[in-house]
Amino acid sequence: MTSSPSPSRKALSKIACNRLQKELSEWQVNPPTGFKHKVTDNLQKWIIEVTGAPGTLYANETYNLQVEFPQHYPMESPQVIFVPPAPLHPHIYSNGHICLDILYDSWSPAMTVSSVCISILSMLSSSPEKQRPTDNDRYVKNCKNGRSPKETRWWFHDDKV
Amino acid sequence: MTEEEVAMEMEAVEAVYGEDCVILDSNPPHLHLHIKPRTAEISSQQFVEAVVRIQASSKYPDEPPRISLIESKGLDDQRQKHLIGIVQEKASQLSSSLMLVELCEEAAERLTIMNHPDGDCPLCLYPLFPEDGWSKEMPFMKLMSCFHCFHCECIIRWWNWLHTQKDTDSKSGDTLHMRRGTSTHEGNSGSGGQSLGNCPVCRKVFHASDIEHVLDLVGAQSSQKDSGLIQGEDEDPLLQSDSENVRRERFEAILKTQEEKGGLVQPKKNISVVPGMYLPPPAPVTASSNEEEAGHSREQGEEAPKEAESETNSSSSTNHRGRGRGRGRGQNVNRRKPNSQDPRKPTRQWVQRAREDDK
Repeated sequence: MTSSPSPSRKALSKIACNRLQKELSEWQVNPPTGFKHKVTDNLQKWIIEVTGAPGTLYANETYNLQVEFPQHYPMESPQVIFVPPAPLHPHIYSNGHICLDILYDSWSPAMTVSSVCISILSMLSSSPEKQRPTDNDRYVKNCKNGRSPKETRWWFHDDKV
Repeated sequence: MTEEEVAMEMEAVEAVYGEDCVILDSNPPHLHLHIKPRTAEISSQQFVEAVVRIQASSKYPDEPPRISLIESKGLDDQRQKHLIGIVQEKASQLSSSLMLVELCEEAAERLTIMNHPDGDCPLCLYPLFPEDGWSKEMPFMKLMSCFHCFHCECIIRWWNWLHTQKDTDSKSGDTLHMRRGTSTHEGNSGSGGQSLGNCPVCRKVFHASDIEHVLDLVGAQSSQKDSGLIQGEDEDPLLQSDSENVRRERFEAILKTQEEKGGLVQPKKNISVVPGMYLPPPAPVTASSNEEEAGHSREQGEEAPKEAESETNSSSSTNHRGRGRGRGRGQNVNRRKPNSQDPRKPTRQWVQRAREDDK
């Protein structure tokens, strides 16, 4: 996987570590429906398998989400991207970047990996058609050097999908 | 039951609950009751709140009124259902007699029993109350606007983080964040220059003063751990000294600006940096040590202004540092405690007033 646009990554703070361990243990007891955490020994980077919800355009398709945690998680938001191939969706770019406000401007430390996953699945589920964002090519070209989506200035224009 | 009796009952309800009761219709009775736990009006002890609707039909009281929850704070689903369930049960037990006041009382009593925060801190995800009972290590607090509870330590960490971020953002001219900032303020135009935040859980706006007392609390606790005994000894005489009081006021003001900027600690280290800048009138208690220091400072007095110019940016903090020096280095650390405790009094009063406003 060459997918990871690695942010300048510092080791997790102790607080971030505690919080992630807690999240992980709660995930193991009660994982969000449709998600499977692929076990590794890396607490700072999770790979999560998503299965499209039944009855939606993505039913039975599986994708991989990569969630990478910054030093000061949960004050800072995690970096969440789809590992390409990313699902065809009006808010998901072909390089896996996801245009979803809670991952950037509207992040709150009270959110968890689990709640973020649920938001992403709900975004997938409500999609009316499988297509890329209209500015996909331009955006992906701009992101060439493995830039993190967190460095993008997102413009959240559409809350229907 | 005659209409008259029902009307009298409504009057009684109104008399008992006053402004907490909104009567939408007097016959058949239909009212909203704003209930708070009975915590002797101490708002810091209040963790839950609810508005209950009692709506009777024309067959009241033979047919019990319908009870529902209109809004609540601090109550999880389970406790919400429990509260309403119990009042409904009471209503069917009492059917065919006038019961409104009794229902309201039941609701208030039940709510009082439920008056405790529950669950995990939304920021660290560990329980607000550790399983092994009350822990002094992790005090928690609630936001007055929405009653969401957090560990003090957790919310302060978040608050400081937020303000550090704001500073960097405005320096780099990040338009996105600026835009967000102004929209928050527009929504609360009445609040003037007050610093605002959004609850991490529900994004409801709260005032900085909401958590300021926690900042003080956390500060006081950590310095207590550092040096409890010595402070206890020199606290009382210091309180009687006018110059000390003035010094504290300035200190408080500086502390405030620090809190607003999220830079809590920095000046504390630098207190004793500039020698001889400003000599406070010697406080009677520490007179002997002061003179020694003062003499020492005078010798270096000539150099001082230069240093000050190059060193500091605001006159207030320069003064402050000079004073700190005048008092002697060793004691500055200890003085932190009274300073950080003092501001709690005003904030408490604020809490009380806010409570009155609520009604």
